Amino acid sequence: MSQWMTLLQKEILEMWRNFKWIWVPITFILLGVKEPLSSYYLPQILDAVGGLPEGAVIKLPTPTAAEVLITGLGQYTTLGVLIIVLTTMGIISGERKSGVAAMILVKPVSFQSFVSAKWAGSVLLMWFSFFIGYLSTWYYTGLLFDWIPFIQFLQSFFFYALWLTVILTVTIFFSSSFVNSGMAGFLSLVVVIVLSLVSSTLSNWLEWSPAQLTNYANEVLLDNGIPEDTLPASLIAAVFINVLLSLSVFIFRKKELAQ
Amino acid sequence: MSLIKISGLKKSFQGTEVIKGLDFTLEKEKCIALLGPNGAGKTTILRILSGLMKPTEGDITFTEAKKGEDIRDFIGYLPQFPVFYDWMSGLEFLSYVGKLAGLTGKEAKERSLELLELVGIIDAKNRKTAKYSGGMKQRLGIAQALIHRPKLIMLDEPVSALDPIGRREVLDLLEELRKETTILFSTHILSDAEEVCDEILFLHNGKIVESGTMTDLRERHQQAKIDLFFRGKAEKYANFLSNHELTQSVRIEGNKVSVFVKDVSLARRAFLQAIAEQNWPLEKFEVSSMTLEDVFMKVVGK
Repeated sequence: MSQWMTLLQKEILEMWRNFKWIWVPITFILLGVKEPLSSYYLPQILDAVGGLPEGAVIKLPTPTAAEVLITGLGQYTTLGVLIIVLTTMGIISGERKSGVAAMILVKPVSFQSFVSAKWAGSVLLMWFSFFIGYLSTWYYTGLLFDWIPFIQFLQSFFFYALWLTVILTVTIFFSSSFVNSGMAGFLSLVVVIVLSLVSSTLSNWLEWSPAQLTNYANEVLLDNGIPEDTLPASLIAAVFINVLLSLSVFIFRKKELAQ
Repeated sequence: MSLIKISGLKKSFQGTEVIKGLDFTLEKEKCIALLGPNGAGKTTILRILSGLMKPTEGDITFTEAKKGEDIRDFIGYLPQFPVFYDWMSGLEFLSYVGKLAGLTGKEAKERSLELLELVGIIDAKNRKTAKYSGGMKQRLGIAQALIHRPKLIMLDEPVSALDPIGRREVLDLLEELRKETTILFSTHILSDAEEVCDEILFLHNGKIVESGTMTDLRERHQQAKIDLFFRGKAEKYANFLSNHELTQSVRIEGNKVSVFVKDVSLARRAFLQAIAEQNWPLEKFEVSSMTLEDVFMKVVGK
């Protein structure tokens, strides 16, 4: 356990030294405040930019607070995912390529701790960034539109974060399987896109798919309560994360650390 | 007392056999040199022993390890090109590795400072490893191999990358360390092996072609030898020497000809006579014993 903590502390310190603790949260905040601000100020922006013929009246329906939050969350499934994949894809493959993984793993370090501590470090960064990013969406939506109950905010945050954790684990899995970080990132994106596409087109059959968690988060925000498929979908997400992590350890152990 | 036993060790890469069946035992508290030309398989053997690679066939037994015990506890390993987290300072890296090896935070720090002092880079302890020079990295690499007081330390070409002064210091350090631990180090520099090691394993094309202590090797390969040093290239004189009836074989290196002869006293007289008659530009004439280099050349068949 103390070895695992040492590994985790190193991950956190590394992310501090390379400023991940600063730029990832900031990017997530920017992503988060973009939606409420632009929805609210769109009429003024159009006015200021001009270019509309004299007398033209545009009527934009004012979106509801829930709609703003949902579109805001949508940002995280695209740009947010990209940031997660880009910041995580080299986490194991990079160390193996440089050879520093071999320096560490000739010491009596368990492979499982090595991989899982990296995972835990990335999860901490991701949850923290996403939390303050989404919190700022919620706050600005409340200021400019309407206040959504905080408990609904927390619930939707949790379901979304679980899905993002699945994505992060997929990236870690590929990072431990390939020495080439670019390859790991590319394959992670492919898997995420396929998972989301299949789940949304076949949504009737795949109600328990972890990718559906984003839809269930939206339902919560629309005041429809927590859909009953949320629990199985969350459980499957948790199982999927565990299986992927074990597989990562297995593959990483099998691969020789030196070429 | 044996420390490690290796039997029938083989390793193939994509069908090519690189290590072709090794059997040897490392004795406790000895210094053993793994000697061989480039590509002989020295690095591969060290990587297998350190657990970074799995052997295709064969067994490695640590005499002292109980069943199921992690052999990495007993081993310190320095790769040929050590790499570190470049955002850490030397002290941070050592403490980190020490904690991973089971020391407490305080112990790890004390041990790290002690080792930094020992390898002579204490002044750079707070500098990022990215800013370390090649020699400093090598020293930090040695320090990290020693952090958990391993029973066996394996060093892959520890002095090849160093300048003469650094080389001297590291060799002295090895001399110091061999009092406490078993050292296995690979090198292609014969004089280094000769200087610090009790025992030598000659590796050639993935096989051990010869092994033993320096004295053993000398006795086994004892052969009378005369070295002739010329002014200028030695080739044109070699022909006469190699055709001489007392000559067994000849080796030419620049301006030096080494002649292995059947009878030293007869050969000495014959050669000196020839030199005088033909007025060769001789600079030095030496009747010498075999050096490690001669043994090396002989066993690898050159």
